[in-house]
Amino acid sequence: MRNPLVKRIPKELASDWHKYLVIILFMVGMIGVISGMYVGRDSMIAAIKAGKEELNLEDGCFELSHKASDEMLDSICTGGMADVKQYFIDEGMKEADEKVEEEIEKELRSTVEEAIEDGVRAQCEAYGITDEAMIQEQIKTAMDENFDSALDEARDSDEFKKAVNEAYEEAHKEVLKAVDEEWEDIAEEYKLNDPGFSPVPVKVFEHFYRNESEDNNNDGTEDATVRIFKSDSTVDMASVIVGRVPENKNEIALDRNHAETVGVSVGDNVRISGKEFEVTGLVSFVNYLTMHESNTDLMFDAFGFDVAMVTPEAFDELPSRLHYNYSFFYESEPADKAAQKDTSEAFLKALITQSVVYDNELKDYLPTYLSQARNFAISDIDGDSTGTGIFCYILIAVIAFIFAITISNTIDKEASVIGTLRASGYSKGELIVHYMSMPFIVTIAGAVIGNALGYTAFRGMAVNLYYNTYSLPTPRLVWSPSALVKTTVIPLLLMFLINLFIIVKKLQLSPLKFLRHDLTKSRRTKARRIPAWSFLRRFRIRVLFQNMPNYAVLIFGVILSELMLCFAFGLTDSLVNYGDKAPEMVFAEYQYMLMGYKDKDGNVIETDENTAERFSCHSLMYPKQKSDFSRFEGMGSGGDESITVYGIADNSQYISLPADVPEGSVFASTAFRDKFYLKEGDVLSLHEEYENKSYEFTIKGFVDYDGGIAVFMSNENFNKTFDKKSGEFSGYFSRNEITDIDEQDIATVITVEDISKVTTQLMHSVGGFIEIFKYAMIILAAALIYLLAKIIIERNEHSISMVKILGFKNGEIGSLYIIPTAIVVVLFTLISLVVGYFLMLWIFHAFLLQMDGYFAFYMKPLSMVLSVLYLLVGYAFVSMIDFFRIKKIPMDVALKNVE
Amino acid sequence: MAENFLEIKDLMKSFGTGEAKQEVLRGMNFTVNKGEFCVLLGPSGSGKSTLLNIIGGIDTPDSGFVSINGDKLEDMDEKQLTIYRRKHLGYVFQMYNLIPNLNVKENIEVGAYLSDKPLDVEEVITTLGLQDHKYKYPNQLSGGQQQRVSIGRAVVKNPDILMCDEPTGALDYKTSKEILALIEDCNKKYGSTIIMVTHNEAIKYMADHVIKLRDGIVRHNDINDKKIPASELEW
Repeated sequence: MRNPLVKRIPKELASDWHKYLVIILFMVGMIGVISGMYVGRDSMIAAIKAGKEELNLEDGCFELSHKASDEMLDSICTGGMADVKQYFIDEGMKEADEKVEEEIEKELRSTVEEAIEDGVRAQCEAYGITDEAMIQEQIKTAMDENFDSALDEARDSDEFKKAVNEAYEEAHKEVLKAVDEEWEDIAEEYKLNDPGFSPVPVKVFEHFYRNESEDNNNDGTEDATVRIFKSDSTVDMASVIVGRVPENKNEIALDRNHAETVGVSVGDNVRISGKEFEVTGLVSFVNYLTMHESNTDLMFDAFGFDVAMVTPEAFDELPSRLHYNYSFFYESEPADKAAQKDTSEAFLKALITQSVVYDNELKDYLPTYLSQARNFAISDIDGDSTGTGIFCYILIAVIAFIFAITISNTIDKEASVIGTLRASGYSKGELIVHYMSMPFIVTIAGAVIGNALGYTAFRGMAVNLYYNTYSLPTPRLVWSPSALVKTTVIPLLLMFLINLFIIVKKLQLSPLKFLRHDLTKSRRTKARRIPAWSFLRRFRIRVLFQNMPNYAVLIFGVILSELMLCFAFGLTDSLVNYGDKAPEMVFAEYQYMLMGYKDKDGNVIETDENTAERFSCHSLMYPKQKSDFSRFEGMGSGGDESITVYGIADNSQYISLPADVPEGSVFASTAFRDKFYLKEGDVLSLHEEYENKSYEFTIKGFVDYDGGIAVFMSNENFNKTFDKKSGEFSGYFSRNEITDIDEQDIATVITVEDISKVTTQLMHSVGGFIEIFKYAMIILAAALIYLLAKIIIERNEHSISMVKILGFKNGEIGSLYIIPTAIVVVLFTLISLVVGYFLMLWIFHAFLLQMDGYFAFYMKPLSMVLSVLYLLVGYAFVSMIDFFRIKKIPMDVALKNVE
Repeated sequence: MAENFLEIKDLMKSFGTGEAKQEVLRGMNFTVNKGEFCVLLGPSGSGKSTLLNIIGGIDTPDSGFVSINGDKLEDMDEKQLTIYRRKHLGYVFQMYNLIPNLNVKENIEVGAYLSDKPLDVEEVITTLGLQDHKYKYPNQLSGGQQQRVSIGRAVVKNPDILMCDEPTGALDYKTSKEILALIEDCNKKYGSTIIMVTHNEAIKYMADHVIKLRDGIVRHNDINDKKIPASELEW
């Protein structure tokens, strides 16, 4: 015979359908969204990973100053290091030979000239000629007649030959000596003395591009920089999302994300460096999942940067400089990330030597594993799901507690029945299974429907969210075991464990205790004393005391909701705040980083701009795990933070540092201080990223700068610390644009717009999502409060019925049972704002520790007020429902014993 | 009729400690034969409900023992006690304690489910005169009807002992007599041993065995040779 108690479950569901509907909708929505996020993520990652093979993703790329010869490419493909020492010797010898030859020729000519002149003067003197003009004429005639023969004669002399040989020998010795002397420095510079080096054979492909200006609304002004590749490239290909690849010379395919961001569709015309092209397709390049123009960009920029393809014919006609970019593929793929690092570093060493010996400057080098454009989206998509997963579990735990409280109340209500059943022989286990079945069924229903929606509707939502942000290929629907585990197994386990714990604890009592309704393990000997307030007030206090566990979960729910609202409001505010503060986040309106402090002719790069001021900078690494921030040890990437060390001119007009700061002392940026909780007197141990070299600095104070993790010292100390020549520098700060420095000498220019484009991009990517999230949080908060307030009213049904019999009006009863909840909700909403705000600061900080840079959490006062107001409006709505619920409680509840 | 089916020996039970200590059972001794209709009679506080709870295995004595068919309850752990109640006992309380969202038939099935040898549910419903109400929910029934369901839930198990704790305490005279008649029928028809706690003196006339309690001890332990049917009881 089937346990007849099972028949209660559908009846229970039917009788309290609105409560379970709210819970199931809640779970379906949540599990659906989370499942959609996971499935969307896995589908996206699957497509991205598939693209690696199918679209021939490079292992890295490098750019040379001019086209590499076949011989150079062959040498690069071997992956070995070139003989740089011999190259320097050969070059030195060649140079020395030229110089010796030139000197000898000059000396010989001068000697012959002198000999002829001396001879003519001697003859003139013998003939008594004293007129200098006549003497000069004689000399000229003698030169014209005898110089060449005299020169040849001198060259043939043994004496001359001996001298020449000696000169060459001497010069060659000097070259060898100089190369020997400087070899150590050169070897260190090019990292040539690595005993562990082994060649990294590669395949190299031309993958040239041009950076052109894009006018996507045909208004004659540049809207973006577009990086254009040839459409017939066999490496780093693109998947076509809409339309087709260009086939004619006036056609172009743009990056899909950029095109959608700026409102360009297939069939539109865009002007590329003045020439009109028709957009035939929207594509996603395998190596550009985000629009990072440079790998050092703080943020990608889908507004201002685009990647596109045109036919080879059109490519050749484009006006801008050709970038001699080459893609390389390792012959044997590195096994893991550590191996990738070693391999790419070894290949770089080899590449540098080849660029030296072939006299073709290496302009850029980027292994794919470090490419922001390729990896930013992948790691962000991965990170997203971790966050949503944790959020999901917290919510499931809240629902589990709501269930546990509901069941706990049901057990209280059904105490006599339970006592009778236990007395009749029902075991504790049977009753536990019975009371556990409802949360289990609801969770399974939520999980099944949620997952079904996750694979259909919500997957699309997640994919669209990613699509809106990144330049991704077409997703492929994959079966996601991780989604199943995270959205079904873990919620079920959470629901199971939390409810099991509470129900087992609740059913521990003996059958007799249940029969006697004696459900507390420890009985208070005396009732809590309440001051002699009015009766109604005391009544409300009693209601509060009686419903403590319910209020505990309610408070938790309110805090959680407020925290989420703080997140939703704070994220938008922080982005806007960051954008507003952008002008303060650059030292100067223009910050020019130079390629070197001297131009190609060896002259120091100068400018006539009055506001220009030299500065130096160097990047070092700060080990995160050695920070004082020990509470977060083990969290985050565990990697090192990149620190910019600035050398500042004395009496700088851009950054004020006290004079005479001793060597070894630095001023840290406020962002650095806030991120790692630094204080004056702390000793920073910074090290080079690729060298085994470290530096210790004592913090003397702080510079009010939130734009980056940086330390500052005087230019003089900077040059001493980093063994730079006196007068060496890295670039210029300037209030006005500098126009008299050759563009070839400028590495980058940072302006306020570069900082604000970060916020523009972020707002575009996540702004819509945050708005939806905000309203979802309000609904979530209202649903939570609804469920918990309902429990409180249900628990007091008997008393409410009784006070109705006694003659209390509905309004009075409402004030007795709704006001305590209102007080708790309002009070804890306000407390939660403070808790939520500080918790958000903490979470944001912990989150940023995993990343490079710093970005302070900020919430506008208006947002604080709104976050509270939204929650209270949600609650006000619930209170109305509560009031109607109270009105509906009949008086016979108190009179009937239907247990 | 098996003799000494139920044996109560030197049973002591107290509640509270120190000055507040109250001895409810102070050395109680008696035996009940199988199939007997035994009434435990006494005023409030005489210990009759406590005694019933100890016999039912839902409370434990401080000393002494209860044995049923030779099995001592004190030797049983919680699990064995649950099985003991499941296999041998049926309970009827003054409050009916029915499951509100199960109908009459289903409430009776709750009892049948526990037994290896349950009676036919439909037959029990007919015996209890509930055939017209079997699909009704408890809140659609009168107090007497609810108590019938509660008796049905207990007897459908076909228990060796039917424990009744003031089963008519909340009922009017007429309904009380109907309920008592029903219990009497169950005793006759199914041969269950009945142990009924009551403070109603009149009920003793329908019992085979009357045990009067006062202040925690057995004052009288009488066998009633002249029992009358429940329908003839007057009070």
